[in-house]
Amino acid sequence: MKPRKHGLAGLVCVLAALVLSFSTASAQTFDAVRKQVRIHTLPNGMKFIVLERHDAPVAAFHIYADVGSANESYGITGISHILEHMAFKGTKTVGTKDFTAESKVLADLDAAYAQMREEETKIAPDQARLAALQAKFKDLEAKAKDYVVNNEYFDMMLREGDAGVNAYTSNDATQYINYLPSNRLEFWMAVTSDRFLNPVFREFYKERDVIQEERRLGVETQPTGKLMEDFLAAAFKAHPYHHEVIGHMSDLQSITRQDVEDYFKKFYGPSNLTVGIVGDVKTDEVFKLADVYFSRIPSGPRPEPVRTKEPDQWGERKVAVSAKSQPYLLLGYHVPDARNKDSRALEAMANILGQGRSSRLYTALVKEKKVAAMAQAFSGFPSDKFPNLFGVMAVTAAGKTAAECQAAIEEEIEKIKKDAVTDEELTKFKRTTIKSALGQLRSNTNMAALLTYADVVLGDYGKAFDQIDEIKALTAEDIKRVANRYLTKNNRTIGEIVPEK
Amino acid sequence: MSKQRTSQKVFAGLILLAFLMGAAFAQKAPKDKFVFGPLNPIKMPKVEKAELPNGLKLLLVEDPEFPTINLFALVRTGAVFEPSAKIGLANLTGMALRTGGTKTRTGDQIDKELDTLAASVSTGIGQTSGTINVSVLKEDFDKALAILADLLTDPAFPQDKIDLAKIQMRTMISRRNDNVNAIASREFNRLIYGKDSPYARQAEYATIEAITRQDLADFFNAYYFPNNTSVAVWGDFKAKDMVAKLTAALGKWKKGKAAALPWPKVVEADKYTVNFIDKPDVNQSNIIIGHLGGLMSSPDLPALSIMNQILSFERMFKRIRTDEGLAYSVWGSYDAGYIYPGTFSCGAQTKSQSTVFAIEIMLKEIRRIMDQEVSDEELAKAKDGYLNSYVFNFESKAQILNRMLTYAYFGYPLDFTEKQKAAVEKVTKADVLRVAKKYLKPDKVQILAVGKKADFDKPLSTLGNVNVIDIAIPPAKK
Repeated sequence: MKPRKHGLAGLVCVLAALVLSFSTASAQTFDAVRKQVRIHTLPNGMKFIVLERHDAPVAAFHIYADVGSANESYGITGISHILEHMAFKGTKTVGTKDFTAESKVLADLDAAYAQMREEETKIAPDQARLAALQAKFKDLEAKAKDYVVNNEYFDMMLREGDAGVNAYTSNDATQYINYLPSNRLEFWMAVTSDRFLNPVFREFYKERDVIQEERRLGVETQPTGKLMEDFLAAAFKAHPYHHEVIGHMSDLQSITRQDVEDYFKKFYGPSNLTVGIVGDVKTDEVFKLADVYFSRIPSGPRPEPVRTKEPDQWGERKVAVSAKSQPYLLLGYHVPDARNKDSRALEAMANILGQGRSSRLYTALVKEKKVAAMAQAFSGFPSDKFPNLFGVMAVTAAGKTAAECQAAIEEEIEKIKKDAVTDEELTKFKRTTIKSALGQLRSNTNMAALLTYADVVLGDYGKAFDQIDEIKALTAEDIKRVANRYLTKNNRTIGEIVPEK
Repeated sequence: MSKQRTSQKVFAGLILLAFLMGAAFAQKAPKDKFVFGPLNPIKMPKVEKAELPNGLKLLLVEDPEFPTINLFALVRTGAVFEPSAKIGLANLTGMALRTGGTKTRTGDQIDKELDTLAASVSTGIGQTSGTINVSVLKEDFDKALAILADLLTDPAFPQDKIDLAKIQMRTMISRRNDNVNAIASREFNRLIYGKDSPYARQAEYATIEAITRQDLADFFNAYYFPNNTSVAVWGDFKAKDMVAKLTAALGKWKKGKAAALPWPKVVEADKYTVNFIDKPDVNQSNIIIGHLGGLMSSPDLPALSIMNQILSFERMFKRIRTDEGLAYSVWGSYDAGYIYPGTFSCGAQTKSQSTVFAIEIMLKEIRRIMDQEVSDEELAKAKDGYLNSYVFNFESKAQILNRMLTYAYFGYPLDFTEKQKAAVEKVTKADVLRVAKKYLKPDKVQILAVGKKADFDKPLSTLGNVNVIDIAIPPAKK
């Protein structure tokens, strides 16, 4: 039955009833889950958030380090991500055959590297001296390698059945994950606390090479990767969302092991770490073990927050990437950070404008005008701890242009600014949010990620649940207001891939 | 309502238990040796089986944790059965089935109705099966089911949605050379199975153009009937009620003539080749080398799984990534398929200047695992990893149920996962060596490098005669 048949007044009633009835059932579910979440802060400031789920004898472990590429400055772009890689290289006891002997060679190796770099960066390097220094460096690197137990950390975790050992770095955060059979709880505590207490950044120079390959893979060989990098650089002229998480190639070739040590000291203090554990565990046992293992990490000062703010834009910015590719269009409008209440209305606008087959952009660009094969809108780009972008992107249909897509997108944006969204659309968004939140609850790993994110970025893990209420309270007027406030020409950056013949 | 009460009661009970345990273990010192206690038992869901009079097979699992219902169905069909002059027909049929709607409600109306309910009903046809997915809040299940039943019994396939799907497919063709990873994996697949093989061929503008509305209707009618379809449903319902609902909604779906599917044969290339695709605009090469793999039904699969882990992680990852710093992503894996042989492949993306060096290391590592037994340590690590992570095969009821449906579809025993585990426990170093020798053929690998030739460390021809693959897209007829 189509809702339209009820007439407008009837329709609104029916929809309101739908949201309401559904909200009651789901609200109980959310409340029940929320009540089970518990948090414990160690004397050194490190936080542990636990949610018990006893569906299967497994547990997800999520460490959220409140540091990402937005904390980087010129010369060390990409270092958050380098540190993430280095955190897998072991400790004073893991990954080494003899740490005492190894550490001496590592110190010599760093000194040799510094000498080599000094010669290399001279205007007129002494080629003979440089060759000798390079040979010395290679020799020491081989010597250091002799002490290494290759990937011992990975080996240990995989061997204990870790189905999720990994980590990822974003503009805002560095996150380490494990997914273990739940009887490995204390094992995880022991191995992981050692990682943060006694890290050794061995095999550094080879890993830097690996990361350069990662940059080639994700940015330099991908037209859309190139567009993303140039687009963010244009949209953020001051705030460090300006540079990609992977960092600039020249920095990746120059960052030193000492830089990484310093960065670790500054940003990996316990007060900057939040842990989420979700699964078949007992909360009190988790907290007791956290005290035993993680209280050993000495407390330190909280790092200073990022200073630089993005100023208001003085006019529309445009970026064109020339590549062997079909065209691609990306628009970004500056919007506030995730804690700002407007962010909920912006999420709603992204959904109504450009998520799902009945969304306005899909309907207009794909189904009706046939200028795009795909069109989407999204909020929180590239991340959302700091003021960010509301994005719209279109993949042009064969034979169509980015300009045609842009014109159609602007038309749809103007409609929202002028006529607001319909109640039907708003209901769709609210129900979609609730349903996807229910979906999240099913997953140990997603919940561990969500709870730590909410606690760090939003200021309280409970905000993960409060946000659902904020969304339920949204009105069409809220969306119209944010559309008019943020979706303006002077506030946007336009990027496109221009096909190269 | 009763559900919430129960979970709170359980919660209170656990607190009490934890409190008692807490008193027992009190404060203690960090440990560095661990003996693991037994895991809580895996909870196997109770799977109800049913069959409707029209032959529709059902698997049902009651899962009242959250107020949602999900349905997943497999239809016995696949793109491998489309005619070679009309490649893309199966994909198009799968798309237009859903987007085209029915004779009484248009696809756009369905989009709107489902989006408003935050529900989804999607259909598609892949290489070896047709799939249907429904995800919905419990109270909207009847509406979603009505839409699904309508689609299956009365699809409209209107010309405008077929045209729209054709635009999307032409767009995909026009964009298929934009991404270097996509080029490499596609062209490697064509080398392994042959470019005209149903397992590797690709749609072109001409094959899309040749497809008519009648072709879609015929393809649909040939495969979409109840006794050719299996359905799995899980969520917040009572099995008995669900069977009644499905009977009411899908009972009218007319039975067809089910026959065993004539899966096309795979012809092994059985030769050593060196292949190159020129991408002068990239600074990193995309390398894949390998040959035909095997079937999941092979009794050697357990030993191959262990060999894979050792080859991929112990050998390729540790050597090429960690020791040499040559690549971010690197793998080596003997893949087995359900009904046709998978591929054995090793791959990496490395800077242009180390292209041939990386290929040489890969070949060396393949030979090494065939020449001598793996170490006790390597074997123990791989087996422990497999066995200790085995519990993740039983993480959720949905995962278990979906796996069972897939096994049933391809004719595998429903407890295939359990049987594999038992066999992996028995794998020895000698087994790993035996399967490596039997199944790996470094002298019959096909090598593919996509990249910027001018910057390669050595000419690719040091590996053999180079076959240059042309990936230019045949233009559409004006």
